[in-house]
Amino acid sequence: MTGGMEEFHNGSEGSFNAEEADTIVKECIENVVGGGDYSQSQVNKWTASIVERCLTQLVKQGKPYKYIVTCAVMQKTGAGLHTANSCYWDTAMDGSCTVRWENRTMYCVVSVFAVATA
Amino acid sequence: MEEFNSGEEVVFNPDEISVSVKECIEGVIGGTDYNQSKVNQWTASIVEHSLTHLVKQGRPFKYIVNCTIMQKSGAGLHTANSCYWDTATDGSCTVRWENRTMYCVVSVFAVAVAL
Repeated sequence: MTGGMEEFHNGSEGSFNAEEADTIVKECIENVVGGGDYSQSQVNKWTASIVERCLTQLVKQGKPYKYIVTCAVMQKTGAGLHTANSCYWDTAMDGSCTVRWENRTMYCVVSVFAVATA
Repeated sequence: MEEFNSGEEVVFNPDEISVSVKECIEGVIGGTDYNQSKVNQWTASIVEHSLTHLVKQGRPFKYIVNCTIMQKSGAGLHTANSCYWDTATDGSCTVRWENRTMYCVVSVFAVAVAL
């Protein structure tokens, strides 16, 4: 595991704070694609940027979690898109949050899954 | 979880999982066309069946299974994921499947449980 885990606050809440994660993710999305139109040549960079930024901000919180961040960006053309996820984990400590964002030309769906370590 | 083989490597095996997930997808939507009224049931079924198979293997992992189904209409869809974990024991695999009318992408993330 990469370093940085030593900074977590002893005694802090032992469960995932979904609201905080929600705010972090929304800011990351806005910073990367806010105000832009769907662009086929840029979209790969965008999805990579979004997951990377979210992960960096989450890890900075210094909480004792492993994280998985997924991001899907879809052009608005009327096609149907459906996603589902299911998790087998410790429901007391682990958690997830999903943010759905859109503008005039595209949808963006980001999910964060946090799994408590030890 | 008590059924796992002692002494077996606690390492994620993406090939095995890939095969298992493909079977789940085929089992739920193989041979069907995109259908707006059914697609929610399909995504839920696929993640549920996949998760059940994974847990049955009895390995010491926590799992996250993600499924996306998109109608084929020429629209662009891009996905990315990034993980902060123990690269020695944890892992993921993504299966992409399609037929004439839809795409289905299933990702499995496995996080080792400290024993």
